[in-house]
Amino acid sequence: MAERVAITGVGLVTPIGSGYEEFSNALRAGRSGVGRITAFDSAGLDTRIAAEVRNGATDLAQWVEPTKAVKLMSRATLFAVAAAGMARRHARLGRDAVSPRRLGVVVGAGGMGPTDLDLLATQAGAAIDAARENGNDRWDIPAFARIFAQRTNPVATLRGLPNLAAAHVAIQHDAQGPNSTITTACCAGTQAIGEGLRLLQRGDADVVLAGGADAGVNPVAVLGFSLLGTLSRRNGEPDKASRPFDRERDGFVIGEGAGFVVLEREDFARARGAPVLVELAGFGASCDAYRITDERPDAEGAAHAIRLCLEDGVLSPEDIGYVNAHGTGTRMNDITETRAIRQSLGSRADLVPVSSTKSMIGHLLAAAGAVELIAALIAIQEQFLPPTINLEIADDECDLDYVPNAARPATPDAALSTSFGFGGQNACLAIRRW
Amino acid sequence: MPGDSALVNGRRLEELVREIVAEVLVISVEEARPGAALVRDLGAESIDFMDLVFRLEDALETRIPYTRWQRFLEVRLAGADLSAAITPEVVQLFATEEIERASG
Repeated sequence: MAERVAITGVGLVTPIGSGYEEFSNALRAGRSGVGRITAFDSAGLDTRIAAEVRNGATDLAQWVEPTKAVKLMSRATLFAVAAAGMARRHARLGRDAVSPRRLGVVVGAGGMGPTDLDLLATQAGAAIDAARENGNDRWDIPAFARIFAQRTNPVATLRGLPNLAAAHVAIQHDAQGPNSTITTACCAGTQAIGEGLRLLQRGDADVVLAGGADAGVNPVAVLGFSLLGTLSRRNGEPDKASRPFDRERDGFVIGEGAGFVVLEREDFARARGAPVLVELAGFGASCDAYRITDERPDAEGAAHAIRLCLEDGVLSPEDIGYVNAHGTGTRMNDITETRAIRQSLGSRADLVPVSSTKSMIGHLLAAAGAVELIAALIAIQEQFLPPTINLEIADDECDLDYVPNAARPATPDAALSTSFGFGGQNACLAIRRW
Repeated sequence: MPGDSALVNGRRLEELVREIVAEVLVISVEEARPGAALVRDLGAESIDFMDLVFRLEDALETRIPYTRWQRFLEVRLAGADLSAAITPEVVQLFATEEIERASG
C-alpha cells in the first residue's frame, strides 16, 4: 500500500475569521459572514451583498517579506500568501525543516482579469476617455492603448496572472520544488489539494503547500455571476441570503478568501515529529463533459468523482461520517448534488450528515474547496459538525441530513469534501482520522 | 551633478526622487538616502525599476524616452555596477531638457 500523506497544518483567511481557532469557533457558532458589499458601491446592482474578508491590508501584509512585494500581489494572492504562511506556522515547519527543492506548491486560483479595483478603474477610464476623445462611442483600441499605457503602472499588470499566487507563495517559502496552478473555477481548491497529494505519492516532493485563493467581491465577478442568474438577490437580509438546500434558496453569495494545508509524506512527518492533524486519504476527479452551466441531470459526473475518491482512499461509504458539500444554494446544484451523494454512497446516504459551510462563508470560488476541506478537518479534530445555517424550509428534492442551523457534536472518523465547477469539473477529497 | 539643483514645482528634484524611491521600495525616506544603491543596499528588483519610472513620470508629468530607461535598466540588471549610487543616477535621468520643460 502506498505511503500515507498527512495534513500537518492549515491556514485560513475567510469572511468569518482567520486561522484555525477563529474559523473553528465561527463554524461552531454558525455565524454568517455575509453583509452589504463594502468593497465598492453596488447601488443599482441586482446583488448588493457578499461575504467579505474583514482583515485589513496591514494585517495580511505581515505574512509578506519584504513588504514591498505586496504591491505585486492581487487581493487573492495576498490571501494565498497569508494563508500559506499560517499553515506553515501551524505545522511548525521551520525554515530549514525541508530542503527547498523538495517543497512544492499547488494553488487553485481564479482566471486572469482586472479583478482588482484600481486596475479595473484604470482600464475602464481609459476606454471611456478613448471614446470621448473621438467624439463617438466606438471601441477605439489605438486610443485606448495609448491612454492605458500612460496611466498604468506596469506593476499592476502582473497582478492578474493566475499563476502568480503560486509564485509568490514559493518565493515566501523558498519552495523550489514543483509549482503549479489549477484554474478549474469552483473546483480549483479541491483539485489543487488533490494534485498536491499526487505529487507526494509520486515522490516528487516531501512537503507540499496546497490550497486555493480567490477574491470575487469585485464588480466584474459580481456582475458576471449576476448576469448568469446564479447569485442570491436577498439584499434585505444578507445573513439569510446563503441558504443551501432550503426551498427558498435563490442562488449563491460570493465570498472571498484562501485556505492552505501543509501536506507531508508520512515518513517525513514522522521523522520531524510533525503535529499530524488528519490523513489526506483520497482524491477523485471527473468531468461531466456535458454542458457549461448545466450539470448532468443524472448526477453521474459528480457521483463518479465521489466514487473515485472513495476507491482512491480505500474507503467504503460506511466509513464516511461527514460530507462537506459543495452546496452552493443554487436551485440546480443542491438537487444534483443530493442525487450524486445518494448514488455514490447508496443506502449510507440516509445516515451521513451533509452540510454546506457556504451558508456561512459564501462561495469562495477557486478557494472554496480548500477552505471547505479544512472545515471537514475541523469536524474530525474538534468533534462537531458545522451546520448548514438558514435551512428553514425543507425542499422535497433535497432530502439528506444537512445538519440544519446548529452545529452538532459528532466523532466522524472520515469525511468527504466535494466541489463542482462551471464547465463540469467535479472533484472530491477524503480525509481520515490519523 | 546636474540634476541636484533642478526644481520641480518649487521642490528640489532630489527630495522628490527620494520620496518616490521610498514609496516604491516601501522604506523610509531616510533609508532612501542619496548615494544608496537601489539593488545592493535597498533590495530593488527589475519590476521596481518599472514602478519607479512610472511613478517618476507621473509625478514629473514627463516621459523618459524608452531607450534611455531601458539602457538604465539593463546596466542595473546585469549587475555591472551594483555599488553605483542609484538615487543620484535616477535624478540624472530627469536632469535634462524634458524636466525643464515640465517644470517651466
